[in-house]
Amino acid sequence: MAKDKAKIVVKDLNLWYGDKHALHNLNIEIQKNKITALIGPSGCGKSTFLRCLNRMNDLISSVRVEGEVVIDGKNIYDKDVDEVSVRKRIGMVFQQPNPFPKSIYENVAYAPLKHGSVKKGSDCDDLVEQSLKSAGIWNEVKDILKEPGTGLSGGQQQRLCIARTIAVKPDVILMDEPTSALDPISTEKIEALMLELKKDYTIVIVTHNMQQAARIADMTAFFHLGDLIEYDETEKIFINPTHKKTEDYITGRFG
Amino acid sequence: MATFESKHRYAHLQEDVIKYLLILAATISILTTFGILFSIVFEAIEFFQLRSFVYFFTGTEWTPGVENSKFGALPIFAGTFMITAIAMAVALPIGLGSAIYMSEYASKNQRTILKPLLEILAGIPTVVYGFFAAITVAPFIVKISAAVGLEASFNSALASGVVMGIMIIPYISSLSDDVITAVPDSLRKGSLALGMTKSETIRDIVIPSALPGIISATLLGISKALGETMIVVMAAGLRPNLSWNLLEDMTTVTVRIVDALTGDQAFNSPATLSAFALGLALFFVTLVLNVVSVRMIKKFKEKYKMSSL
Amino acid sequence: MSKIKKNKKNVFYDPSLKRRHFKSKLFKYFTLSSLIVSLAFLAIFFIDMVVKGSSAVQQTYVQVEVSYNEQSAENYRDAVDKKYLELLSRAVLREIPMQIKKNPSLLGTTKVAWMLADDQVDMYMKEYYYKISNKDLATLTELIENGRVEKKFNTIFFTHGDSKTPEYSGILSAMIGTILTLAVAMFVAFPIGVATAVYLEEFSEQNAWSEFLEVNINNLAAIPSILFGLLGLAIFINLFGFPRSSALVGGLTLALMTLPIIVVSSRAALRSVPATIRQAGYGLGLTKVQVVKDHVLPLAFPGIMTGSIIGLAHAMGETAPLIIVGMIAFIPDSPTSVMEAATVMPAQIFTWAGMPERAYIERTAAGILVLLTVLISLNAMAVYLRKKFEVKW
Repeated sequence: MAKDKAKIVVKDLNLWYGDKHALHNLNIEIQKNKITALIGPSGCGKSTFLRCLNRMNDLISSVRVEGEVVIDGKNIYDKDVDEVSVRKRIGMVFQQPNPFPKSIYENVAYAPLKHGSVKKGSDCDDLVEQSLKSAGIWNEVKDILKEPGTGLSGGQQQRLCIARTIAVKPDVILMDEPTSALDPISTEKIEALMLELKKDYTIVIVTHNMQQAARIADMTAFFHLGDLIEYDETEKIFINPTHKKTEDYITGRFG
Repeated sequence: MATFESKHRYAHLQEDVIKYLLILAATISILTTFGILFSIVFEAIEFFQLRSFVYFFTGTEWTPGVENSKFGALPIFAGTFMITAIAMAVALPIGLGSAIYMSEYASKNQRTILKPLLEILAGIPTVVYGFFAAITVAPFIVKISAAVGLEASFNSALASGVVMGIMIIPYISSLSDDVITAVPDSLRKGSLALGMTKSETIRDIVIPSALPGIISATLLGISKALGETMIVVMAAGLRPNLSWNLLEDMTTVTVRIVDALTGDQAFNSPATLSAFALGLALFFVTLVLNVVSVRMIKKFKEKYKMSSL
Repeated sequence: MSKIKKNKKNVFYDPSLKRRHFKSKLFKYFTLSSLIVSLAFLAIFFIDMVVKGSSAVQQTYVQVEVSYNEQSAENYRDAVDKKYLELLSRAVLREIPMQIKKNPSLLGTTKVAWMLADDQVDMYMKEYYYKISNKDLATLTELIENGRVEKKFNTIFFTHGDSKTPEYSGILSAMIGTILTLAVAMFVAFPIGVATAVYLEEFSEQNAWSEFLEVNINNLAAIPSILFGLLGLAIFINLFGFPRSSALVGGLTLALMTLPIIVVSSRAALRSVPATIRQAGYGLGLTKVQVVKDHVLPLAFPGIMTGSIIGLAHAMGETAPLIIVGMIAFIPDSPTSVMEAATVMPAQIFTWAGMPERAYIERTAAGILVLLTVLISLNAMAVYLRKKFEVKW
């Protein structure tokens, strides 16, 4: 694990929901252009941790975060960091596909236009096309760009959401169980897409599906009751875990 | 066995009687609607036998009291439209703004206090608003206008329009608050995760999603404004006035209905019957507004699978 | 976010966000201020009514010597010193001959009494605009100096009906009229409304007929109230020949207006009773009517009551349709039956608001305060009922 390849360095991260201590002293380094999977039983804190990486937890008023999440040399919880700017650079894809009730084109173009990264016109058209191509959905939607994004199938919607995220040109894409609401064929397409995307992006994915982690992740972190139990290369975690708890979970003894 | 049989039959009879009584009760509401429709239509037909139908909708002179009375309702419709427009200009931004604050910014506890507080505005009898408009707001407008060198009538359209707007605020805010709250949170999160600010998320994602409901609330508000009677009877004028000047006195459909039916004219005179012609126009416009409004909210409910609104 | 400094090392520094955050704040302040404006309207409105109406709590009385003699038995003008005549309420003076007729033993006596003052004197004492001649004003000033003018609690307002003399007018007849009218309205609307709700929720099948009923009830709720007045006029008065201005006609008209409110809230109450209650009833071999009557209705009752009280409050504030059916007549004496001409609180407010005398303004505002107090109490009662009987299934 070469230090210079670390994209995100988490130091002593603690999180409370009101009085409930939900994440305990997490330390983890997430590497650039790799897929990192976060696994663990329900309520282990893996999704909460994911939301710490783009400060989505700020939206819940009872949440308190301590510790550091250093991205590109800057702690995103520093007072002089704007969470809106963090979310611009750290994109997120959710469990339920959530396209906006706008046209497919507008779904993708909305954020870049607002950020001022493109102007309306051919630049914007190019960006939309590029993003939809990167998300592997261009061929399916290129003739229906004016139609509402909510009219697509679940798997298409999720790829549209990925395109929408890519269009903002983030460095990191966080994915919160992106395929758990999809059928196997759509899931396969999205997994293939992720392997494609990791050339350009750092991807962190929360998944319930251990096979999925094994198939696509370079690194895997196992969470249990708010603790990071084990973090290593995926192969090592699945074949030869250090901790008993990890092994129990991997072999399906709980979860 | 015989007793069992007869008891059974008796129970059945009782069931049927009660069921038919219930149906009868349910029919009353239908009878009411048709009662309103027919009582208005028949008298309106009688009116149009005496006076021109076309002139009623296109004429600009309304002179019921004199010989050779004329019934051109255009200035009355115009006055109604103006006052409604003023009311909506007040109620829509304030009502929608309040709804957005309550649903997006206020805490849950604040919302449970704020919403009923605003709804008090809807519970105040309209006659009370009328008094407020006539005694407090209208003289105030006259004074302000005089201060800037304008002349305002004590029956200005502005006074009744503004007060009517205040009355309609809760109709807009309550329904809008309901639909905005019903917009799924996943849409907000999706937008915020793209690096949008909160207000951009509200303006670009939440409001457009809630739009059918907001339009529905607006139509309902317009329907309320068109049919509102007491405020205009007390604070607006009687003079049919085709004008764009909000500081002038204007009259409305409802004012003329009240005026026509509280005068001492014979019931079968065109002056009295004109009330029913105006009532018919009011009935149809408000009916259409309401039907469209219900359609829109139904569409919204289906879209987001809301069960109660 | 305003704390963001220029920092070369801060990769998250984005100057373009400053404007967007500013706009975001602006938007929030716009929504907040519209809420504040709405609440301010409410506050201004209540303050205005209290300011205008509070002076009606007291009424001015003047202490004068009243003589009951042959002359005053014929002409009330002889009952008091001529110079006080303009300062006293005509309405009270006019009753003196009648008092003597009723009670002849009064003849030949004199007594010093607190007599109700004329409305202009009352306005003078309350420091409003007044119209009193200089001569009378001098007399009044002298009386005040001698402590013979006093403001006392205004009992007349609550114990008398309407009057052409403002100082002698009260809300009693309008209150009685309101009670009679609402009694008729609820007597008709409650059973029909609840029965309609029971039919729609428990008995009718989902078909075109029930859908038509439902759409119809929705539309009924949105019909402008004045059109119900046209119905009342055309059907109840012209067709059925019920007496104009009577509580009966007014009550029937209001009943039809209240119907949709009761139906909608009763349906919601019935719907909130879980299906398991019904299934349990059927399981015991009960008929549908028995299940509804003995099990579903009692459980839905608090909700039905809540809705009915809200409907009642609605009907209580309604004016326009009642004006159309003639309930704005001048009614000094309280009606004793639903067939007599009557007026209601809001109609009384409407009539007073249109009076030219300044003294009616405070009475109008006071009447409004009484009406609002009753309405708010009714609504508070509804909320209390809902809270108390709220069951989470």
